[in-house]
Amino acid sequence: MSESLAESVKAAPMPLVNEAAPAAPATASPATQPLLELVNVWKRFGEAPRQTVAVSSVNLKIEPGEFVTLVGPSGCGKSTLFNMIAGLLAPDSDGSVLFGGAAQRDGQLLGKVSFMPQRDLLFPWRTVLDNAILALEVEGVPRRQARERAEAMLPEFGLGGFGKHYPHQLSGGMRQRVALMRTFLFERDLLLLDEPFGALDALTRTRMQQWLLDLWTKHRRTVLFITHDIDEAIYLGDRVLVMTARPGTVKSEQRIALERPRDPAIVTSPGFVAIKRHLLDEIEEESRKSFLQEERQA
Amino acid sequence: MNFKRINFKRFLPVAISLLVLIGLWQGAIAAFEIPPFVLPSLPAILKHAVSEFKPLSASLGATLLEAASGYVLGALCGLLLAMAMVLVTPLERGLMPLCVAINSVPIVAYTPLCLIWFGMGPASKIVLIALAVGFTILVNALHGLKLPEEAAVNLMRSFGASPVGIMRRLRLPAAMPSVVSGLRVAVPRSMIVAIVGEMLGAYKGLGRVIYESTQQVNLLNVWAAVLFASLASMLLYGLLVWVDRKLVWWR
Amino acid sequence: MSTAATGISMAAGARAFLRSPLFAALALALVWELAVQAFRISPRYLPALSAVLRDAWSIWPQLLASFNRTLLETLLGFAAGAAFGCLCGITFSYVRLMERAVFPLFVVSQTVPVVAFGALIVIWFGNSLLAKVVTAFFLTFFPVTVNTLHGLASCDPQRIALMRSFGAKGPTMFFKLALPSALPQILVGLRLGIGLSLVGSIVGEWFGETLGLGVMLIEAMNSDQIVRIWVVIVACGLMGALLYSALTLIERKIIWWRAEA
Repeated sequence: MSESLAESVKAAPMPLVNEAAPAAPATASPATQPLLELVNVWKRFGEAPRQTVAVSSVNLKIEPGEFVTLVGPSGCGKSTLFNMIAGLLAPDSDGSVLFGGAAQRDGQLLGKVSFMPQRDLLFPWRTVLDNAILALEVEGVPRRQARERAEAMLPEFGLGGFGKHYPHQLSGGMRQRVALMRTFLFERDLLLLDEPFGALDALTRTRMQQWLLDLWTKHRRTVLFITHDIDEAIYLGDRVLVMTARPGTVKSEQRIALERPRDPAIVTSPGFVAIKRHLLDEIEEESRKSFLQEERQA
Repeated sequence: MNFKRINFKRFLPVAISLLVLIGLWQGAIAAFEIPPFVLPSLPAILKHAVSEFKPLSASLGATLLEAASGYVLGALCGLLLAMAMVLVTPLERGLMPLCVAINSVPIVAYTPLCLIWFGMGPASKIVLIALAVGFTILVNALHGLKLPEEAAVNLMRSFGASPVGIMRRLRLPAAMPSVVSGLRVAVPRSMIVAIVGEMLGAYKGLGRVIYESTQQVNLLNVWAAVLFASLASMLLYGLLVWVDRKLVWWR
Repeated sequence: MSTAATGISMAAGARAFLRSPLFAALALALVWELAVQAFRISPRYLPALSAVLRDAWSIWPQLLASFNRTLLETLLGFAAGAAFGCLCGITFSYVRLMERAVFPLFVVSQTVPVVAFGALIVIWFGNSLLAKVVTAFFLTFFPVTVNTLHGLASCDPQRIALMRSFGAKGPTMFFKLALPSALPQILVGLRLGIGLSLVGSIVGEWFGETLGLGVMLIEAMNSDQIVRIWVVIVACGLMGALLYSALTLIERKIIWWRAEA
């Protein structure tokens, strides 16, 4: 770990190097400092000869304020990658994750990134409001204060008046919104959203995408968003990263030059369709590989 | 008006079968000329219960005290041990076989030991009840504390929660339904263990009354004591259903 | 390569043994013996395992006979209680009226301490095997009923709808869907039942019997023989473990599919 760490630290445009200190460089301007950087990140499970490589040689940089989407076939290691960025898994020792320029040790990222997993995972014994403030409570914010903050945000998330309801009384879309609210209330620079709209029907999904973009524009956080839906990836993102089938790595990167704010009608515009056609080709190949992998395993 | 009617209809079948049972009881006594030392008549039992109300309630009180003390002690120990086992995994792996071994033996088999070790007073019964209740709660609590899936635990970790924080905000609430289910089962069990313990050796309590009355062939007293024990159990159970609704409010 | 492979499989085999209940039992026995020696625990509290085994060996024929007798009572009481419990559970599940009429009485019956009944049962059935079986039966039938009822009630309504769309009727529906999906829960009830059946037999024996583990327990208590009490405790524990493992084996044969999350 020490060698590549030393190298990656030397490569980063940062005068001060101190593993123990948290992020925020004193002299480098935010514009040149990537918020998140992955350097040669690998994740292998098990031992030879029955080893699976979930993620191989991932290098990427996320600038502050960006909205980056990640697409790839199922089983390509997207979720594993996210778990590493959230601090739940440590990357293999030959790579590292840099947050705010500082390389992160195992578990150091926990609590630094706002993570929204695929399922809403709302606690059935907490009201909507209490579910939303869960992360704040863990952070140590006093309950009353946290509740006030969440209460103020309810209308923005379309949950006005539902604060005292319980999860089982809400629809799937509303539960996802509560989970989103929980993610936004946890004020961190980086938001990780793992296929948050995957379980919703198409109509709800479109509305939620709008919502998300409005929120992002208003609050200006950095978002890393996983999806398997190409339309969604292009519509939402400044950049789209395409991942390969297992072992997952970043195959290509596509800058989305479409203007913001994005109109929903944009999905049928020629510019959009051109990008989509290009990405489809890239992904089609990986999807086929992934499908064959699954067949072989069965 | 309406409200009263609905309730009545629901309890009608039970009421009828209860009446049938009473009818069979009295009918059998009359028809087969069963002597009272085999099966006393219901009015006789009730009359005896009323006339002996004071001493029987005193005995019931003694039994209830033992049962309640053992119950609370056992429930607390069971829950705390379960939490410790979840927080410290090697503890679970080490203690589990011991717990399984101790639990394979029916609690009643430990009665003589407890009586010899702790004497004939209430202490021996309390220990026995705590053992019985403790294991029930331990098993249920362990099951409930381990219910949350890995994704939920990971979510809490991603917020920066410590293992204790995860226990407090995720595992304990998630375990409530299981724990309360165990608490419910443990109520009649604690009464029965109390009485069994008292039967083998005690100074006070319904079990002792039953034992003595059996020796003296005072069957009326036995049935009256049983009636008291039964009613008390039902009341306690009803109490616990109420507690259940308070502890597991989100259902 | 082959030596490495045998090395790996040996390590895997050793690991499996370490996890097995047999190893746990042996480890426990060892800890017992060593702890008593090391901490000089008074035999009044915890006699050494070796002392217990010696005493057991000295009365081996009587111990074995008592063990078998109690086992017989337990198994008979369990069989009767389980059969009755299942039948009641099924009836209650299909005939709501019966459930509302009789089930509450079942619940009340469990609040009656069986020990009180023990004396009465001996009066009614005499000092015989039947009396103990009845006591065991009394404790067994309720958990089996409750769990059978619960298991049948938890059948997935969407699956029921599917079967109905195939034109399935009553008995078909029961044997092909309701019963299999209720089996895991029924087995939970059976596991509870068999433990309670053992309790019933032991307690039943306290009210008059010449043979049985419960009898041995009382006699040992009355003559203040701590080691003998421990012998009976271990014997009861072994019987309990035996019964539970037998049930687990049956469960594994009948319910080989994993319950859905």
